[in-house]
Amino acid sequence: MSGAGDREPVFPTRQSLGTMKSKLKGAETGHSLLKRKSEALTKRFREITKRIDEAKRKMGRVMQIAAFSLAEVTYAVGGDIGYQIQESAKNARFRVRTKQENVSGVFLPAFESYTKDENNDFGLTGLGKGGQQVQRCRETYSRAVETLVELASLQTAFVILDEVIKVVNRRVNAIEHVIIPRTENTIKYINSELDELDREEFYRLKKVKNNKQRDNEIAEKAEVEKKGKRQDSDKENEDGPEAKDVLGEEEDQDVIF
Amino acid sequence: MEGLFYNVNGGYVEGVVRGYRNTLLTGQNYSNLTQCETIDDVKLQLSPAYGDFLASLPPNPSTSSLADKTTDKLVAEFRYIQGQATGTLAKFMEYLTYGYMIDNVALLITGTLHERDTRELLERCHPLGWFETMPVLCVATNIEELYNSVLIETPLAPYFKGSLSHQDLDELNIEIVRNTLYKNYLEDFYRFVNEHPEIRGTPTAETMSEVLEFEADRRAINITLNSFGTELSKQDRKKLYPEFGRLYPEGTLMLSRADDVEGVGLAVSGVHDYKSFFDTVGGGMNSSGPGNMSGGSGSDGKSLEDLFYQKEMEISKGAFTRQFTHAVIYAWVKLREQEIRNITWIAECIAQNQKERIGNYISVF
Amino acid sequence: MAAPPSAYKDRHFLAVIGDEDSVTGLLLAGIGHVTQPPDAQKNFLVVDSKTETSTIEQAFDNYTHDRKDIAILLINQHIAERIRHRLDTYTEAFPSVLEIPSKDHPYDPEKDSVLKRVRRLFGE
Repeated sequence: MSGAGDREPVFPTRQSLGTMKSKLKGAETGHSLLKRKSEALTKRFREITKRIDEAKRKMGRVMQIAAFSLAEVTYAVGGDIGYQIQESAKNARFRVRTKQENVSGVFLPAFESYTKDENNDFGLTGLGKGGQQVQRCRETYSRAVETLVELASLQTAFVILDEVIKVVNRRVNAIEHVIIPRTENTIKYINSELDELDREEFYRLKKVKNNKQRDNEIAEKAEVEKKGKRQDSDKENEDGPEAKDVLGEEEDQDVIF
Repeated sequence: MEGLFYNVNGGYVEGVVRGYRNTLLTGQNYSNLTQCETIDDVKLQLSPAYGDFLASLPPNPSTSSLADKTTDKLVAEFRYIQGQATGTLAKFMEYLTYGYMIDNVALLITGTLHERDTRELLERCHPLGWFETMPVLCVATNIEELYNSVLIETPLAPYFKGSLSHQDLDELNIEIVRNTLYKNYLEDFYRFVNEHPEIRGTPTAETMSEVLEFEADRRAINITLNSFGTELSKQDRKKLYPEFGRLYPEGTLMLSRADDVEGVGLAVSGVHDYKSFFDTVGGGMNSSGPGNMSGGSGSDGKSLEDLFYQKEMEISKGAFTRQFTHAVIYAWVKLREQEIRNITWIAECIAQNQKERIGNYISVF
Repeated sequence: MAAPPSAYKDRHFLAVIGDEDSVTGLLLAGIGHVTQPPDAQKNFLVVDSKTETSTIEQAFDNYTHDRKDIAILLINQHIAERIRHRLDTYTEAFPSVLEIPSKDHPYDPEKDSVLKRVRRLFGE
């Protein structure tokens, strides 16, 4: 029994039994706390995944509108402006910064978009023709990119939460399935070892007592024989040592228990 | 009198172009197109008009490849006419291509400025703006070299001369370069149709003047509207206005001073057509986005650009009422371009499932 | 647990790998950034049918791994399909990789690496 299962390498002493008991208690508290944390995070996580799902769908629509506004530009400008745009891009007007949000002790970064208005690479694009469409298209795409940034925040939160939840769950499971059983095992082991020791002790004392008794009997017999040799009829002496032995036995029992 | 000898040289070409005009899509065709559910349907509807040109497209082609193929047809027909043209007509057709050349050159300049391999840009160039020395432009690796040894060999050299130095190419925004070139081109074209001894006083001069004046005004108005809120100063802006047109000189002067849309409206109020455009648009040129071209928030109203396109098409259509003139070629090219834009637009609407806006094409037949 | 601030505090830019139209539109929104010469680096890559897959992978690695100033990488879904194995194995939080639809390829949630993970997590 005590050999089966995993247990901590401790000496089965009363002191370590105490340690183990407090460890078990700690593990149980930790387990319930982590479990609650994991639940809170999972709740949040589910919320986020739901929002990601929604946002991804929304993105589909927003990007479609944006793509359509680009089609309008192509229509109005009457040609391809792609290359020119690519070449005149110099400084990002649209940028993001990152801030943190604390969710149940986990720092989730969130992107926040901002524009640097002084950077305007395309102010003159479509000057002769279609400029208004170009500007409108820029606005539409800016809005679309904002949606994308929002989605990216959610997604980053998702990735991080996913990681965190995995770690927390791993801990919960480790406590639940490894640490607690192992501590319990150890306690059981210590208990059984201590019981074993008790039984051994008991048995040993019993043996000692028996030996003593036997020795006494032998000694008595020898004495009786001696006496018999000297005085053939004297049986009252047998009771004397026995009464003494009973006293001795009581004393021994006190020691044991 | 001019009609007496026009047919000696230009009669065949004019006849061909009138034939081409009859193959332009009509309102009936367009309404069929708008009923289509897929691009394949569009392709099918277009097959009588475009036939072989669309045959090589894969099933459900992208809208851009559709536009490419329809442009191919325009180019092929243009080349055919160009091959037939002689005398002033040949020269006239060359002028037609200069506009596209400007776009191509602007593209190549952009490429050179950013030290790209300009060779891959050649396929992005508009085929109508192709000129023989264009591949040579790719040889140039820096702007100075490009300017001194290559650009002066192109037909556009006169447009660079006098108004743009090679430093300008380096420093100015490419859009300003492009618009300067375009202004010079329009003025040159205008001079050509009004001063060339064989064209002066013919219906060609009359019709083309109208078309070019309209084009010049349109550019001036657009440049003004689009330059609000950019680093383009009023002086620089004024330099981009073509120096002719119905707005010139009072209107353009007022345009050059305009600070906002109302100012533009005031500047053009001298010309009835443009005034009515502005009235239609109704001062809604603000950021809220008027007209059907506004991204996403479209309504039935027309934007100023739409009205200009519409007007251009009407002028082009009107050109066909005249006989013995080169202007029909110009008109045909413009109509065909609009048709390509319409097809692309309709295809785009179908591809992107934006059916409610599909009716925003411009059809004049 | 959470990524240290150094992992993202310098990340200001968006990067994009996409087809011409998507890139053009996003650049119009103003995300384009070209670093100072001589080592000019663009934060966008235009992919067409002629672009090699290795080029895409290289750009992907560059944006996700080498460059420390990119916060979000946008990639067209149909291009993501070409380097799907990379996206499936990419689990970093920064930069965040976002699959976006393109004009000719509407968005398909079934293919998204992140949504795939969502579904796997909920055992659907």
